[in-house]
Amino acid sequence: METLDSAISTPSRSTDSKPQTSSPLPPSALRLWRPNAQRNLRNQWSELASCKNRWFSASSAGRFQATALVNSHLSQRYMPDMKLGVLSDMPGIRKQACLKLYKRQELQRSKLLLSYKEMVGIVSHMINLSRSMKCFVKVPNNSPLLQFSYNSADRSDSVDGGDGGGIPVFTFYSITSHEKFAEELVEMFKLELCLKRLLVLEFLSIGYDTSEVKQLHWSAQLYDDEFRDLRDCNLYCEVTNGPVPPRLRDGKSDIGALRFDNQPNPEVLQVYLTTWLAEANIDTLRVDEIFAVVEEEMHVSIC
Amino acid sequence: MEDIVKKFQNKFRKVREEMKQWDELQSCLISQFRNASHIVERLQVLQNSNNYGVLKCVGGMRDALLEKQIESFRNILVSMKKTLEKFHCIVLSLDKIHRDSRQQVKGGSYNLSVKQLQQQVGIKPSLIYCLDSLMFIHEIYNSEYMLKSSVISALSEMALNPSASDLSALQQLLVDQPNLHTEEGMFELSVW
Repeated sequence: METLDSAISTPSRSTDSKPQTSSPLPPSALRLWRPNAQRNLRNQWSELASCKNRWFSASSAGRFQATALVNSHLSQRYMPDMKLGVLSDMPGIRKQACLKLYKRQELQRSKLLLSYKEMVGIVSHMINLSRSMKCFVKVPNNSPLLQFSYNSADRSDSVDGGDGGGIPVFTFYSITSHEKFAEELVEMFKLELCLKRLLVLEFLSIGYDTSEVKQLHWSAQLYDDEFRDLRDCNLYCEVTNGPVPPRLRDGKSDIGALRFDNQPNPEVLQVYLTTWLAEANIDTLRVDEIFAVVEEEMHVSIC
Repeated sequence: MEDIVKKFQNKFRKVREEMKQWDELQSCLISQFRNASHIVERLQVLQNSNNYGVLKCVGGMRDALLEKQIESFRNILVSMKKTLEKFHCIVLSLDKIHRDSRQQVKGGSYNLSVKQLQQQVGIKPSLIYCLDSLMFIHEIYNSEYMLKSSVISALSEMALNPSASDLSALQQLLVDQPNLHTEEGMFELSVW
């Protein structure tokens, strides 16, 4: 939880403390800064928009896999009582069918995991984009030309805070305001990613026998280097040595009570699938609003 | 006479276009209805907090999920009303086609006699028969539109009091379109 919160507040705090009116840049430099900053913001926002679209297609692919997985599992569970009509005379037909369904479920597990991995990658990319909105001015030693950089790693040798002294980049909004919009957006996807992770864990554990289920817990790595990726997303808590627990925007979580069930009843499975579909942490109206405001500000259409 | 027959042929061509558009809207409305009724069916399961399994560890999940689902249900209802609006436009256009034709034949410049109206050339139907058909087509589509409106308003009330059997009955009504007896309605069209 701490890692999440500190990530949100640090960038805005450092820029907000600067006085908004006085710019450390001379007017001539500022005149050059603005088009560069504008170009950078346009690029970052259109990338963010494409990330958002990629997220929704990855999420719906994941839902498709999860639904198929649940169906394979339920068919296996119902197989002993299924009326097979004329087929019931065939020797070992139920066993064969179950084996086939089991194999299919294995395949669907790995596909679901791929969708999850893709979503992790998207969120990580979105975070990078939201942190690359500043435009730093650099004055090289032996050159009269100004250089511009969008990488906060270059912050040390740049002559300003990267925000043009807080002036509006287009019409109304400063770099800080753009960053705030982007953070608000990214935050929704981060929270949703944690929730999806919980669902993925649950979908992966259904149908496994109990000994294997014990190995699946919140701090288990779902794929190689998952925790490295989650650290990139600020979703790994070093204090608890595990991924940040799932929660809703204004809610809490109680991960201590977490028990994965390998034979959940169909109603519970339906709730899981609905939760995947509903994306409770992503306020779609607000997302659209943010992109609309930014488009209006930048005079481009990015969605 | 030749002239007016051509005009009628055009009218029926227009009617056929409207019907084609009606069919497109029909499949759109049915998929919207299916999505909405999936949500309504789910609501009862979602309301029961015992169905949340591992999601119980996420505080406020049940309320958030219900809120999201009801929001999507409302959105679907809004788009269904828009689809209904388009159905209504078709009904209005069919009405206009019928009234215009009547105007042309009875009050317009042609001033045809009753005998001419009833005259049948070859296998082609008489003008009076065509007029009646246009009126009939408008009437059946109008009744079907009214039926669809009441089905949709029944659906919007059902969110509060869901019943799976009622939902499937309503869906069947939408699919069947009981007011449209296509064989009768289409007869004139095939002749022209």
